[in-house]
Amino acid sequence: MANRENARDAEALLRRFEPVIRFTKGEWFYPMDAEPYVDACSLWVRHPDEDAVCVVSSGELTLERLAQQPEDTTGAVHYLKIPTPKEDEERGRRRARRSQKDPDWPRETFRAGRGRLARVGYISRLADALFSLVLLARGRVPGGDVEGARVLYGRFMEEKERFKYHGRVVRQDGWIVLQYWLFYAFNDWRSNFFGANDHEGDWEKVMVFLSESESGEVHPEWTAYAAHEETGDDLRRRWDDPELEKSDGHPVVYVCAGSHASRYSRGEYLTELAFPLPRALAAVRRVARRFWYVTLRQYADQYSAEVPYEMFTIPFVDYGRGDGLSVGPGQDREWDPPRLMIDPLPSWVAGYRGLWGLYTRDPFEGEDAPAGPMYDRDKTISREWYDPVGWAGLDKVATRTEELDVISRRQAEIEVRRDHLRSEIREKSHRLKALGMDAEATRDRSHLSKLYETETKHIKELSEEVEAMRAELTEDEVLGESLRDHAERLRNGGRSPVRAHIAHATRPVSEAETRAGRVAQLWASISVGLVLLTLIGVFTYQRQHLLSALVLTIAMFAFIEAGFRRRLTRFIVSVNVALAIVGALVLLQHFFWQIIVLAVLGIGFYILWENLRELRQ
Amino acid sequence: MYRQARLLGVLLLLQVVAMVGISVWLFSTIDWDRVVHLTNEQGQVHAKTIDGPLLKRFEQAILFVVYFLAPAILLLLAGLGFVLLRRRGWMLASVAQALIMLACLFFYGDSRPWFAYPLIAYCILMILLLNSRSVRAVVHRNRVTPQDGRSELAHGE
Repeated sequence: MANRENARDAEALLRRFEPVIRFTKGEWFYPMDAEPYVDACSLWVRHPDEDAVCVVSSGELTLERLAQQPEDTTGAVHYLKIPTPKEDEERGRRRARRSQKDPDWPRETFRAGRGRLARVGYISRLADALFSLVLLARGRVPGGDVEGARVLYGRFMEEKERFKYHGRVVRQDGWIVLQYWLFYAFNDWRSNFFGANDHEGDWEKVMVFLSESESGEVHPEWTAYAAHEETGDDLRRRWDDPELEKSDGHPVVYVCAGSHASRYSRGEYLTELAFPLPRALAAVRRVARRFWYVTLRQYADQYSAEVPYEMFTIPFVDYGRGDGLSVGPGQDREWDPPRLMIDPLPSWVAGYRGLWGLYTRDPFEGEDAPAGPMYDRDKTISREWYDPVGWAGLDKVATRTEELDVISRRQAEIEVRRDHLRSEIREKSHRLKALGMDAEATRDRSHLSKLYETETKHIKELSEEVEAMRAELTEDEVLGESLRDHAERLRNGGRSPVRAHIAHATRPVSEAETRAGRVAQLWASISVGLVLLTLIGVFTYQRQHLLSALVLTIAMFAFIEAGFRRRLTRFIVSVNVALAIVGALVLLQHFFWQIIVLAVLGIGFYILWENLRELRQ
Repeated sequence: MYRQARLLGVLLLLQVVAMVGISVWLFSTIDWDRVVHLTNEQGQVHAKTIDGPLLKRFEQAILFVVYFLAPAILLLLAGLGFVLLRRRGWMLASVAQALIMLACLFFYGDSRPWFAYPLIAYCILMILLLNSRSVRAVVHRNRVTPQDGRSELAHGE
């Protein structure tokens, strides 16, 4: 009975703040109930160094049966598999898609716009090409699986259009956390949106953090949208943040096409797949950048200390345009009643630790399906499940109703500490004076020199101790005053700056950045291939002047590239500095002693001039 | 405020004068009659080189013009730009310095002529001057720095 009431309350709360989700034109997969998906899938298990075995075949699997994993031994990976579409069904689907009459999904076709490669440099383009090649070798989701998922999802939607989320309400550290878990049948980012990966099954989440007043009223305070594997302060926004769009009191989420990453603003996001650079290379890069931007203070405004030097990145575009279907209260489609994941936890949540789609054994895991809401791929419990407050970086933030209490408690703590410090300082100051007097009395007395030395040493130690305590006391006083001011501000309705917690706000690329001529796009597409062909030509026909030809070729391509990317000034400066360094080394090699003599002469004359000037004045 | 820019313009023009001077000197040291010996036998013109070292010098002079003609024109335009228009010509001057430095380094790798060294030294000074704060403050005023579009790191979930 109590459980039923809990469920009703939880559902009411979830529905009150359920998100509005805006998709991009061309999206194929929308949030769905996990049950029909599981019913259609088969359950497989793969033991280390063994072939995968089907444990429960398609049509026999249910949500209840999902938790039964009889072969869950060390190293075994259970996973679901989307059924391969029947040949006639698939053919019909393809024909239908060509005629664009049926199925309904997608209603609109996706247009990529400016090529992602036009937004990044050669190295990234080359890395992208290598990434595609490596994809052939490493584990990946076969192309047919996308079709299978489309057929499956199309069938669900033809039977009955449903848009469902999986809801959970949890209390932690004074917060009420509303978790909206969105399940998609497939992540087709790579296949259909030029992204990094594909995988069967996709769990994404949106969280709303509420505070509860003494009267039991709840207030939304924060939201946190999951995007890829980000965690912490950067992914949450305060309820009054202008960036957080709301529709009739519901937070608006822009879901990126294929990847289903959730964003606060509509737009196109340059997402970078990061790989670690070799340590030595990273160190050289870091030192060079610091020398240029910090030591020489060249173009210091363009320097970012947070650039992850250790990383080598490949760009992908996340399309969160929000110009497609909108799901949520008062939108194109309404949410169906959610499937709840509250205590007692359903067995499919707590008991199934496997993957929600194909296990490809991809070493980077990008092509492996994700685990369920409660688990990570390695079967450990996920942080967003057991510590959603910490996951969003809210563990250090008090709810609005708690703020003044927290300040009062802290002030009381500081007051106690200050009293203690004051009495200790008083006592130690007395002692210090007494020791000082002893030292004065024993100074210049040869038979008391040892005692004098010991006392001097004690005085020094005690003096340092008292100094540290006084500093601490002053800090506490300042802190106490700040807390008092802050409390006053809060009482008057003031709040901290709304975006003070954000270090790296993810923002869509600007319109100016997405605007590029056709020539620039064409260049971006052909440049890497052209560079490779030209290099082969140089190696074949210019062996006599290999170095010169290579330098010229690379310089020419780099110059054109810099022009297209509007970085000609930076490029020219870098080239000139590099050439100047080489030129200086050449001069140094030939005229070493002459340069030394000249330098010494210069310094000598300068000192002479300065001293004579001082004398005259 | 623009004194620095004018000074820079004058220095760039001086560099052009120096380069033209070197090129004139290179050509003036060539005894043209001894480089190529032309004979006319039975209506056919035969060219015969008679002096190896002189031919080398001739090659050097031609290469000097080939390598330094374009940068000299750029420098001239940049110098006039700085002197007359005050803020125009930074890019031209920088590109010219890069081309001159590249050419000098090629010369250095090949025959190490004496003029490569003063040109390198002058180029280094000009590069330092072009990138000095005061020059940049004049030249890059009103120039908007393009912001990097990269916005996040992810791991492709």
